[in-house]
Amino acid sequence: MTITTTTNTPKGTERHVRVFVDRCAGCQECVIRCPVGALSMEPASWTAVADDALCVGCRQCERTCPFSAIAVEGPLAVTERFDPPLHQPVELRGNVEETRRGYDTWDEAIAEANRCLACPDPTCMRGCPAHNDIPQFVAAVRDHDLERAHAILRRTTVIPDICSRVCNQSAQCEGACTWSLAGGVPVAIGRLERFIADHAAVPAPAVAVASSDAMSVGVIGSGPAGIGAAWDLIEAGVAVTVYERDAVPGGLPIWGMPDFTLPDDVASRPWRQLVEAGVDLRVNTPIPAESIDQLLTIHDAVVVANGAGVPIRLPVPGADLDGVVDATMFLQGAKRALLADGDAVAFRAELGVADARGARVLVLGAGNTAMDVARMARRLGLEATCVDWLDERFALARPDELAEARHEGVEVRFLRTLTALEGDGRVERAQLAHTVQPERTKVPTVLKTTPDVLDVDLVVMAMGYRLDATFREALPTLPIVKRHVGLPHGRWSASGVLKNAASAYNHHSPVGALSLDREVGLWAAAMPQRERLWVAGDALTGPATVVEAMAQGRRAARAILDAHPARPDRAPEFRADHEVRVLVAYASAGGTTAALAGRLADRLSVAGALASVLPVEQVGAQELAAADVLVLGTWVEGLVVAKVHPAAAMRRWLATLPNLGAKPVATFCTYGVNPRGAGEELAQAVRSAGGVVIASETFGREDRADGARLHPTKTEAFANRIAARVITRVAAVA
Amino acid sequence: MAVQTEVPAGGRASATPRAHLVDPIAVAIRTRTPEDPAVHQRFAATDPSPGLDIARSPRVAKILRDRKFQFLMILPNQIIFWLVIGIGLLGTVVPGLNFATAITWYLWFALVFVMMVVVGRAWCAMCPFGGFGEWVQRHTFWKRKESGIGLGLKMPEKVAQYGFLLSVAAFLLLTWIEEFFNIAGPGNPASTSFMVLGIVGSALVFFLVFERRTFCRYVCPLTALIGTVGTMGSVAGFRTRDREVCQACTTKDCMRGDADGYGCPWYTWPGSADSNSACGLCTECYKACPSDNIGLFVQKPLTSVVAPTRRRADVAWSVALLFGLVVYQQLNALTPFTNFDTWLNNHTFFPHYPDPISYLGIIGAVALVMAGVAWLFERAFVSRDYVPAIGGRTFVDRTSKFRAYFVPLMYGIIPVVGADYFARQLPKFFQHVPRVPVAIGHLFGFGSTHSSLYNASLISSNAGIIAVQVGVMAAGTLAAMWASWRIAGRDLAPVGTSKRSVQVSAATFALVIGVITAVLYVLMNAAD
Repeated sequence: MTITTTTNTPKGTERHVRVFVDRCAGCQECVIRCPVGALSMEPASWTAVADDALCVGCRQCERTCPFSAIAVEGPLAVTERFDPPLHQPVELRGNVEETRRGYDTWDEAIAEANRCLACPDPTCMRGCPAHNDIPQFVAAVRDHDLERAHAILRRTTVIPDICSRVCNQSAQCEGACTWSLAGGVPVAIGRLERFIADHAAVPAPAVAVASSDAMSVGVIGSGPAGIGAAWDLIEAGVAVTVYERDAVPGGLPIWGMPDFTLPDDVASRPWRQLVEAGVDLRVNTPIPAESIDQLLTIHDAVVVANGAGVPIRLPVPGADLDGVVDATMFLQGAKRALLADGDAVAFRAELGVADARGARVLVLGAGNTAMDVARMARRLGLEATCVDWLDERFALARPDELAEARHEGVEVRFLRTLTALEGDGRVERAQLAHTVQPERTKVPTVLKTTPDVLDVDLVVMAMGYRLDATFREALPTLPIVKRHVGLPHGRWSASGVLKNAASAYNHHSPVGALSLDREVGLWAAAMPQRERLWVAGDALTGPATVVEAMAQGRRAARAILDAHPARPDRAPEFRADHEVRVLVAYASAGGTTAALAGRLADRLSVAGALASVLPVEQVGAQELAAADVLVLGTWVEGLVVAKVHPAAAMRRWLATLPNLGAKPVATFCTYGVNPRGAGEELAQAVRSAGGVVIASETFGREDRADGARLHPTKTEAFANRIAARVITRVAAVA
Repeated sequence: MAVQTEVPAGGRASATPRAHLVDPIAVAIRTRTPEDPAVHQRFAATDPSPGLDIARSPRVAKILRDRKFQFLMILPNQIIFWLVIGIGLLGTVVPGLNFATAITWYLWFALVFVMMVVVGRAWCAMCPFGGFGEWVQRHTFWKRKESGIGLGLKMPEKVAQYGFLLSVAAFLLLTWIEEFFNIAGPGNPASTSFMVLGIVGSALVFFLVFERRTFCRYVCPLTALIGTVGTMGSVAGFRTRDREVCQACTTKDCMRGDADGYGCPWYTWPGSADSNSACGLCTECYKACPSDNIGLFVQKPLTSVVAPTRRRADVAWSVALLFGLVVYQQLNALTPFTNFDTWLNNHTFFPHYPDPISYLGIIGAVALVMAGVAWLFERAFVSRDYVPAIGGRTFVDRTSKFRAYFVPLMYGIIPVVGADYFARQLPKFFQHVPRVPVAIGHLFGFGSTHSSLYNASLISSNAGIIAVQVGVMAAGTLAAMWASWRIAGRDLAPVGTSKRSVQVSAATFALVIGVITAVLYVLMNAAD
């Protein structure tokens, strides 16, 4: 590790670490997280002591101390970050060269890699939706070992070249970088990733030898989620068929991202490799929602990864005038028009702005898509104005993207919203009302002041996308809400990333909370939404990011490999090698139900299942995703004369249950006097969550007694019944 | 959302993780497990044996795990104290008949002392002042909420470094106010109400401004007393069952809190607690621990006095000052002192007893005498080549030769100070506690100053009360002598020249102050 500290520290720049010994409990959370070993334990008082000379001021100790018993004063000891200047074309019109540049030389890359502290508990990895092992690949760069760097990246991502160009690092990895959380300038993680991807070819998938009766998976859509899923599946020897609506595979990065951000050559790289690896790619094959069932009869599993491709249109008066188009149409046309052999003049004519001089495009929205549209418009020779009703402080676009767009002459007006379009047949004027937005979480309010009037020749609606309505109908649980509820797991609070300091680099996005929310999407991708049907990417969560979609696609692929689903016509041998995992989840007050759950699990293990037991409070989406079969047990409460319910803890848990995707579930209740309808209530709750109840039982006092002379006891019989339903395939082969 | 599959203790191990569950986050954390070869040795003297863990009983465990437990502990006291406030203001002005004064000064104060000596911070687990503030701060009675209300500041280090001394100052101030307005006399019942309201109000302010139980830890007038005298108690509090599990724990939910419990409100980590002094018995850590690795331990009496390795200067000075206060309260019952205080008031134009100069003067003088004795010990016994360990710059972690003697010696006299406080409460208790049921009856229309119970006492003769007081002092003195002997042998002998003589001297010191206070009780003639 190289830490650059100036030896002649000028006065006032020394760092000083104060341990509040009165509150320090000696837990050593700071000691084990200090990246430079500046902290150790004082044996007499059993408190932490700091060596100011070693401290680099990163403040990880401050963030992680559970009792806020440590404070760091003084500036950060880190060298200045080097960002290569933007590539600014002399003549913008018709020029689609990449504007952002990576590091050209090893010296630049290594200097930047040296800024990384290699934190023992790297918060950057939590900020990255794919959880790339950032400190390790940065270390590999430092060691001049790009092969190793690629190997490290491959564990978590298959598109480092794309991600490093299109990710908003400032709200993800770089926003969660220790330096950023400490209020400084983060390590240029994105640029280092790009350096690796640009200076050594991204390795192709390592294809396993495919057997003739390999599992067959259909993937709908070839965007980042489809790439992620197909990649992991083909590497595992699965027969993968990808259905793509368009003629060119790649999804939004191909049709929606301009060349000056993501060159086509880079965006198409994954599909060149995947097709070569043997993925059966079927372009020009749109799959409507009603055909999903049909796909499920020919594939063992299906991954829906067709994104969220329906552009949102603002329903304002005049929205149906000529010269009002959506972003998809504009981006696709402009991209073609700006190719070397494209015809920009014809495209402008198609848009009705043949005479480019002074023609103004109004772009609705100021997110990343809107920036792309506006910058494309500039390259077509048009004037561009973006309007967004958000406050600039809470803008959705990457900050650097926004700066570049403005530099290229795009006018961006925040706190404006379109109220009406006027014109005689063709749009001529736009009414832009003023808005205010005091807080990030508040929806802006529209003011009644005199609106701005803007003369426009073309309007492009680029407010974003939503899911296809027919798919929403077919899969009514979508899109899921990526909102983390409840207290985050201790590992998150322990890392300190949630104690987010607002720095210039994460521009008002609480990176910790955002990344926690993204975890919800990742785990949802691992859960089947219906039997043998997984959904990943924007199709699952609504419009999000490329890296998330890719990570979700991989997560879904690995869930499929684990679950080993089989279509109905498969021979029994196909299912044989898979052991059934049973999760017994219980709500117990006095331990009776817990004990019974334990006995059931023992019994199921004897029958050949891999059984685990957990109290319901500890069962989250992740535990559910891991289980093939669920056994739910609860004690019952209520008055026998009135109504008896499953225990409150169980009811609470059932209420938060995600879609069980036709998972087999067995339920049981333990009761003292009379369970009345509690068993049925529990089973009903499971059914309404999408589970299939395979067995249901109630256990009274005598039923639970050990040492019954008659075998099987009621417990054993119940366990056997479950086993018979779910473990038969194992038994049949054995 | 759980990122890593935790294996619940007591449950079966979860099935081996599946490929898609192996989260890169879990494997990429490269923090090491804290290692310290001396850790077992360091806590050997203070760790209770596993057999003394009462939370091993499933029944106890179930109660402790219930989030309503603490609420139900607090609720009865909460009701009583709001009754005290209301009845003190609205009820009869006859102090002995008023529920507020009767229950507060005849019964409650004595009960708190018993709980302190027997258990430790038992009162803190049921305290209505902190309980009320905490309910407001958490905006719930018992649930685990994600957010609280209030500013959540931490105590500024400039103040926090003095530990219990802020509480001692609050206690001295409150006692002075109580004496000045003759609240505990008992005087006008409304004064008791105002005093209780004042405590509730200031507690509420602190709970809304600062995080966790900052009030209880630093400010509460009783916390220093309970935190010092309570170390005699036989409940060690919530401690780790297996320290290695705590050290390897990656989440420290007991300190940070999780879905089941709040992080420790008292800034105590069960993994390093070596005294019951800062464990409020609130059960939060027990509920929060993901590994079921926290137990509720009992210990031999005086363990937390004798055994802790880390001795704190704020505790020592608190003991010295609190001893000064109780000596003052003994002296103020003697005629010569009353004459002196009147003389002083006449010359300082102060309206009436207690003159702040004599009040603070006597307390300060006693504390300085304690310090002086410790200084004499240091001069007499310190070994020539003893160099104090390098400490810090703040009050708590400064080190010196003087402190090397003063701090352990003050720990040693804790039992005699505790006995002194208890004995001081006894006359009021013995003479007037039968008035409590009369005062309760008075609320419902029967019971008067003429009833035989009102005029009854548990022990009517002064000689009887004095005998009990001296007995209490004798017990306290014996305990202090034993503690001083042990502490001297462990803490003072290694830095001094002669082990046996320092032990004899320390025990003698405890004996002397025990005898002096016992003699004072005889002279006071059971005055309340």
